[in-house]
Amino acid sequence: MSGNRDPRSGQPPKAKTKCQNVSHQSDTHHRPHPRVMKLIQRLRKIINEYILQLESRHQQEDLEQEEQQHSQNIRDQEAILVHLMCEVVNLLHSGASSSLELRLPRLSLDSRGGAGGGQQAQSSREPDQLSHQLSDSETAFISCDLSNRGIDLSALYKSNLQDFIAYQGDKYHEDKNTSGFINLGLSENKLCIDLLTERLSRSDMNYIDDDLLQYPDWRGHAFLREEVARFLTYYCKAPDLLVPENVVVLNSSLSVFLTLTMVLCDPDDAFLIPTPFYSGLTLTARLYSKVELIHVHLQRKITEADTQPFQLIVDKLEKALLEAKFKGKKVRGLVLFNPNNSLGDIDSLDSLKEYLEFAKRHNLHVIIDETSMLSEFRESIPFHSVLNMKSLPDPNRTHVIWGTSKSFGISGFRFGTLYTHNKEVVSAVGAFGFLHGISGITQHKLCRLLQDREWIDNVYLPTNRSRMQEAHRYITNKLKTMKVPFVSHGSGLYIWVNLKEYLDPCTFEEEQLLYRRFLDNKLLLAPGKAYMCKEPGWFRLTFSDKPLRLKVAMQRFSEALTDKKQNWIEKQVEDALVESVSSPSSSSSSSSSSSSSSSSSSSSSSFVNLDSSHF
Amino acid sequence: MATLPKKESRAPTTCLGLDTNYGDGLERERSRKPDHKRPEHYGVGDPTTTFSSDSSHLSSRGRISKWFWDSAEEGYRTYHMDEYDEDKNPNGIINLGTSENKLCFDLLSSRLSQSDMLQVKPSLLQYPDWRGHLFLRKEVARFLSFYCRSPAPLKPENVVVLNGCASLFSALATVLCEVGEAFLIPAPYYGAITQHVYLYGNVRLVYVYLDSEVTGLDTRPFQLTVEKLEVALQGANAEGVKVKGLILINPQNPLGDIYSPGELRQYLEFAKRHELHVVVDEVYMLSVFEESLGYRSVLSLERLPDPQRTHVMWATSKDFGMSGLRFGTLYTENRDVATAVASLCRYHGLSGLVQHQVAQLLQDRDWINQVYLPENHARLKAAHTYVSGELRALGIPFLSRGAGFFIWVDLRKYLPKATFEEERLLWRRFLDNKVLLSFGKAFECKEPGWFRLVFSDKAHRLRLGMQRIRKVLTGTLRVAEDPPSSRTQEPRGQHI
Repeated sequence: MSGNRDPRSGQPPKAKTKCQNVSHQSDTHHRPHPRVMKLIQRLRKIINEYILQLESRHQQEDLEQEEQQHSQNIRDQEAILVHLMCEVVNLLHSGASSSLELRLPRLSLDSRGGAGGGQQAQSSREPDQLSHQLSDSETAFISCDLSNRGIDLSALYKSNLQDFIAYQGDKYHEDKNTSGFINLGLSENKLCIDLLTERLSRSDMNYIDDDLLQYPDWRGHAFLREEVARFLTYYCKAPDLLVPENVVVLNSSLSVFLTLTMVLCDPDDAFLIPTPFYSGLTLTARLYSKVELIHVHLQRKITEADTQPFQLIVDKLEKALLEAKFKGKKVRGLVLFNPNNSLGDIDSLDSLKEYLEFAKRHNLHVIIDETSMLSEFRESIPFHSVLNMKSLPDPNRTHVIWGTSKSFGISGFRFGTLYTHNKEVVSAVGAFGFLHGISGITQHKLCRLLQDREWIDNVYLPTNRSRMQEAHRYITNKLKTMKVPFVSHGSGLYIWVNLKEYLDPCTFEEEQLLYRRFLDNKLLLAPGKAYMCKEPGWFRLTFSDKPLRLKVAMQRFSEALTDKKQNWIEKQVEDALVESVSSPSSSSSSSSSSSSSSSSSSSSSSFVNLDSSHF
Repeated sequence: MATLPKKESRAPTTCLGLDTNYGDGLERERSRKPDHKRPEHYGVGDPTTTFSSDSSHLSSRGRISKWFWDSAEEGYRTYHMDEYDEDKNPNGIINLGTSENKLCFDLLSSRLSQSDMLQVKPSLLQYPDWRGHLFLRKEVARFLSFYCRSPAPLKPENVVVLNGCASLFSALATVLCEVGEAFLIPAPYYGAITQHVYLYGNVRLVYVYLDSEVTGLDTRPFQLTVEKLEVALQGANAEGVKVKGLILINPQNPLGDIYSPGELRQYLEFAKRHELHVVVDEVYMLSVFEESLGYRSVLSLERLPDPQRTHVMWATSKDFGMSGLRFGTLYTENRDVATAVASLCRYHGLSGLVQHQVAQLLQDRDWINQVYLPENHARLKAAHTYVSGELRALGIPFLSRGAGFFIWVDLRKYLPKATFEEERLLWRRFLDNKVLLSFGKAFECKEPGWFRLVFSDKAHRLRLGMQRIRKVLTGTLRVAEDPPSSRTQEPRGQHI
C-alpha cells in the first residue's frame, strides 16, 4: 500500500493554502460568496462530465437509441452549463464580487485537491441515461457539500421520487380525499390488507423477550431462519429439506439483491438481465453497488422461436454474453425474475433449467428473484421455484431471493431473504447484515406469520387468489372494452398495457408526456422506460387494489386517454391542413433501435394476435 | 522492546502502513531509520490491503466483507455458541465485550407490551415515506428538542429515520465522500465504523491517535485537541488522502469520556476552517449517569459554526438498551444531505410497526423521565461502582468518567511485551476462561494493552465475570523483564 501512495506524497500539502485564505470575517460579511463558490464548483463538475461525455462518444455502441440518448445528455449538460454561467454572471453583477479575487485563486488550487479518489470516482460515474434523468434544472443547484454520488442520490430523490412523495402526501380516500392520487404504478398488493391487519393483531404476535431486544445474529435470528427454511421447503416444493444455514434474512428483497451484487461483483462488473425488469434494480446497481446491468432486450414480436411475447430464450442470452465479452465487460452472472416482476410471466421448469445450464456453461452466477411467488392466481399455470429442482446445475452459483412484500402484500414490513448453498456468499452477505437488519420484534412476527400454515392455506391464499382474479377480470374487461392491448400471464400483480397507439410520435418523450397526463388525472402508472423496455408505449398497471379504487382509477385512465386521443385527432387535422412534407416515419424510426424498427412495420398486425391470445 | 511514543515532536510521520500492522512493534521500529524515532500522530486506514479472505466465488469487495464476517467469528460467535445461562449453561461465556445495556429489559418489556404498542394499521404495512413515517419524524424532532435542549424546536424535515446508526454511517459516507476519500476520527474509537463507512462507501478513516500519557497542555489522558486534528489532517493531505469530514463520538466510545461545550465548539470551528463535515454520534447521550459531568449535545449549542455541515445521529440501541430494535436517526439542517440519505433509505428501512412503537416510546415523556431514566441511571451507577471497585482492588488502572456502558482498562502491565500480539493472547486467555472482552486494537488504540470492559450487565453475571478476569490476571502477573515505569503509571486522577 505504500507503493500506492508514493507518487502522490510529492505533492505539496494543500491544507496550508486553505488555512491562509480563510478568515472568519470574510465568511460572515459576504453572504453571496458560498453561493458563487458552489456555482463554480458545480460548473466544474458539469464541465468534467461534459468532457467525459464527449470522450466516451466513440466507445458507445452504435445503436441508434443509445446514440440519441447520448446526444440528449450532451444537450442537457450544455443547457445546464449555460444556465450556470448566467447565474454566476448575475451574482457577480449583483455585487458579490468584492473579495472574490482572494478566493478564486484558492479555488483553482483546490480544484485539483480531489486528485486521488475524486477523479477516479468521477470517471467511474456512468455518463448515460441516469445523468440524463437527473439533469433537470433542480439538480444543478444541489449543494456541493455532497459527493458526486450524493448529488445523484439527492437528485434522484427530488426527481424520480417526487411523484411518489406527492402520492404519499395526497392519497385517495373514498370519503376524505376523493381527488387524491391513486397509485397503480406501485408494486403493492392492497387486496388483503384487512386479513393481514387482523392476523398481525392477534395475541401471538405480541411477544417480547430479552433476546429480541439485543443484537441479533446478523444473518437473522435462528428461529426465523429455521422457519424460513421450513416455509420455502413447503411452498417451493423442495425435494429435500432446505436448511437454515443457507438462509440470510435482510430488510427487503431489494437489499438482498444489492448485497449479492456487492459480494459477487466489483465495480463495473456486469450482470445480464432480461428486459423489462423491475426499475428499482437499475438505481440499485448504478447508485449503490456500481454494477452494470446488461439488458437482454426481448422482442415483442411473435416469431417462430418465441411462442409468447417477451419470451426469454437462451440464444438471446448467448448472444448478449458474447457481445458483452467482445466489449471487454466482465460478466459475473444473470438476474432472473420468476414470476417475472413486470410481466407476470412464469417460467416453465424446462426453460428454467435451460437458463441455469447456460449460466453453468459460462460459470455465471444466477440471482433468481422469486418474490412474486404465491401470487399466481390462475392454477392452470403452475409456478415452479428453482428450489423445486431435483438437482441444481450449479448450486454454488444459484442464489434465490424471496420476500413478503408481494406474496403477503406487506411491503411496509421490510423483509427479504436469501437462500444459497454457497457458504462464502452466506458469510459475505452476512457481513452486510448489520446495515440491513430487521428488528427482533418484527422477526418474531414474521416467524409467527410464516408458521401459520393453516391460516395461509385456508384463509389467506384462497381469499387473496379470488380477490386477485376478480380485480384482474375487472381491469382486463375494461381494457378490452377500450380496445387497449395488454399482456398478462396470470401471475404477479400487474398487467402490461400497450399504449403505443396513443403516442405520436412513438418516442419515450411522448411516453413520459402520457405518464404526466395520467398524473394530471391523479393516476400513477409505471412507464415502460423505467423498466428498460426497449419500445416506447408500454405501461405497467398494478391491478391488486380495492374494487372501488380500481373503478375510479379506470375512469381516470379512460379520461386521460380520451383527452389524448382528442388532441391527437386535432393535431392530425392540423397537420393535414398545413400539408407538411415531413413524414411521420422518420420520427418514429429514430426512437426505436434498428432491430426492432424493422419489425415495427408489422406491429399493428401482431398486436391483434397479441390481444386475442391473451384475452 | 518498543518504547511508548512520546510527544517530543509533532511532525507528521510519513511512515506508511503502520496502522495496518498487527505484527511485532520491534520489527516496526527496525524498519524505520534508527535515529528518527518519530511518534505516530495519525494513521490512514486501508481496508483493501489489510483485509481479505480466500474465495473462488466472491468479488474482491465480497472477499473483504467475508473477512469482516470471519474476523468476528472468534469472539462474537464463539460467545453465541456457548452463552452463559444461570441455569442451563453456568459454565458458558460471559459477554463483557459487546456494548449493550442489559440492565433494564424488565422495564422495556413491560412498556413495549402495553396496548398502545400493539396497534396494527394498514398504512403501517405498506410502503412508507422513505425518510420514515411523518408521525415518527415529528416525534423524533420533539424528543431531540427536549433531551438535547436545543435552543429552538428541531424540525421533522431535518429528520431521516433508518434501521440503525451503522446504516447511517454507511449512508453518510456514501453521500459525503467519493470513493477513496476519508473521515478523520480520534482513536481509540468504536471500531465497527471502519466497516460501516467502507462496505458501501469505500470511504476510509484517518485516525487521530490519542495518547494515554498526559503531556503538554492536556488535562486528561487520551485528550483530543485541535492541534492533533490539524496534524492528522495535514499528514493525510500530504499523503494525498482527501479528507471530507470529522467523526466525533460524544459521549465517547470506548473512553466513556465526554467533550465539554467549549471543546466541542473548538472541533467544530476547526472543521469549519477546513470545510469539513462533522458527523456527531450521540448514541450514548442519555446514558450519562454522572450528572455532574454536565453533558451537552451539539444540538444544544446556541449557534453551530457550520450548520450545513453538521450532522447528528442518535439511536435507541444504547440509550434505550435495545440494539435489537434497529432504529437510528439523522438530524441535519442540510436538505441535500437529508434527501440523499433518504434515497438510500429504501435499503435501510425499518418496519412500519416498529416505527409506530418507537414513536409511542419517545412520546411517553412521563415514563421516560419518571420511570426509565432514573432507574436506568441508578442501575448503571451501581454496576459501575461494583466493577470499578473490583478493578481498584486488583490494582488495575482504568478510565471512566460516568458516561456509557464501559470502562477503558489499562492492562499494559500484564503484557510480557508491548505488542498487539500479546494483547490478543491475553484476550484469548480471557475467552478461554469464559469471559469476552474487547481488546484495544479493535478500537485502533495505538498502545497495546488496553481493553474495554462493559459493566451494564446483571449483578450475578458481573460477579462471575470479574471472578474470571481476576483468575486470568492473577495467573498472568509474572510480568515480563523490567517493565518501563510509564507502563504501570496510572492515568492521572481518572479513577472514579
